[in-house]
Amino acid sequence: MVQLQAKQKTDGFRLCWANNMSFIAKLFTPFARLRHSVYIMLIVTYVILAILLWQVFAGGGLIPTPVKIMEAIIRIISVGSFYDNLFASLSLTFIGMGISILIALVICYLSLLPLFHPIAKFIIKCRYLTLTGLIFLFTLLTSNGHNLKLSLLIFGIVPFFVTSLLSIIDSINEQEYELCKTLRMNSWQTLLEVVIIGRLDQVLEVMRQNFAIAWMMITMVEGLSMSEGGLGTMLIKSNKFIDLGTVFGILIIIFIMGVCFDFILAKMRHWFFPYTKLQLRK
Amino acid sequence: MYQKEEVILQVENVNLSYDRPILRNVSFNIHNITRADMQQGQVVSLIGRSGIGKTQLFKILSGLLSPQTGSVKIGQDLHPVKAGEVGVVPQNYILFNHRTIADNLSLGLRGSSDKLSDAQKADLIKDYANRFGLSEHLKKYPMQLSGGQRQRVSIIQQILTGNRFILLDEPFSGLDPVIKDKVIELLVSISTLNELNTLIIISHDIENSLAISDTAYILANQEGHEGATITEAIDLMHMGFAWNPHIKENKDFQDLVQQMKFRI
Repeated sequence: MVQLQAKQKTDGFRLCWANNMSFIAKLFTPFARLRHSVYIMLIVTYVILAILLWQVFAGGGLIPTPVKIMEAIIRIISVGSFYDNLFASLSLTFIGMGISILIALVICYLSLLPLFHPIAKFIIKCRYLTLTGLIFLFTLLTSNGHNLKLSLLIFGIVPFFVTSLLSIIDSINEQEYELCKTLRMNSWQTLLEVVIIGRLDQVLEVMRQNFAIAWMMITMVEGLSMSEGGLGTMLIKSNKFIDLGTVFGILIIIFIMGVCFDFILAKMRHWFFPYTKLQLRK
Repeated sequence: MYQKEEVILQVENVNLSYDRPILRNVSFNIHNITRADMQQGQVVSLIGRSGIGKTQLFKILSGLLSPQTGSVKIGQDLHPVKAGEVGVVPQNYILFNHRTIADNLSLGLRGSSDKLSDAQKADLIKDYANRFGLSEHLKKYPMQLSGGQRQRVSIIQQILTGNRFILLDEPFSGLDPVIKDKVIELLVSISTLNELNTLIIISHDIENSLAISDTAYILANQEGHEGATITEAIDLMHMGFAWNPHIKENKDFQDLVQQMKFRI
């Protein structure tokens, strides 16, 4: 009886060992698929590990520890002016994103007309222009701080939007255009069906991908005119007083907000365009 | 009893070259075939090896590509073909992935010369979907359908435009034998929907192409010449092989299939 129990225990141990080994092997196997719950567990493990390492190595130094950052975050969000600053940043980002995507879409659709194609190509190259050198020019061209920030933001984002949108248009299968011809559509109807309606879901995906650029730029442009406030203004002020706990706290808030928007935009794509779910690798 | 009436598609000396000749002096005709007491369209096969230039010929026949020399004329008045006058069902059954099956089919009707009300259009789509086993899929997206179902949608979409000529690029490719037989049944039923319906099948699948056709043309290279051309015309009606649903079981037909393998 005792021998049988010992054997069962050994078998159980072997089975458990084999399962663990197969799980570890899976983690290092290309294209292996993990269960969603396991994947979440993996992320949580990474986060805990990063926080622990941070706490251990940052303790006592200039860099604030996670505990101090958490305290700073609580302090920041408990002050009413934080929400005014957050609102200022969000409204500027959304207005900038909205205007940028409209301008980028018009440029991309017009690029299909040979007359406007070189303009679109030039705008793509404007990604290599640094905004810092253009601040003076934009200051002269705009009437107030708000417009200066908005125009710099738009000027910074549009080339990235146009680049992504044009690559979508370039990757359209020639057979889709041919299908339109066989269905007796003229050039304008083809443009509407294939490029505009057919790629609307991808416009949202481009917005999602480029939201990160806009969100990153917002703190930079807010530093140019601090009268309206914003998260960028908060960052600059905290940096000035070497209040690194607050700086890191704001950075973490900015990061979490960005991740949330990324998630919401991805979900919106599935809500508005249900067929996009079917094209994903499951 | 059948009659070969007027020419309804005429291909004359079509030549196409890129960095080398692809098609050389391709010429053939498709006649209106009539049979007593029944509505009989035409099914013509263009058979050739992979990479011989079938897809280029397919595009030229549909008006999507212009040959360097030569012409393609269609209709009873034999006018030069224009894109949109010949329905095209490509090998990968391209559909608009952002539209449901019902919407994809209604796009076919939008290009139709028949002006129908929305209710009439919906009824027509339902009728075709019902006839070809797609009723339960009308609200789905193309990505949710199997290859065979997408092929049927693609064919019906082209029929709904009102085109009498429909080109099918490799319609049997990648299908299992059971589905191939269903495709044959489908194509036969389409060819008999209207007297002037003409299906042109471009394929390397000799057996299935011959089994469904009334005429077949072999597209192959000739020794000493670059570029594919029509090397042989096979009149399956004259041979007694046309319009027989069980023709694949016929020994003479199988002998012909075997011979053809050496001729392409």
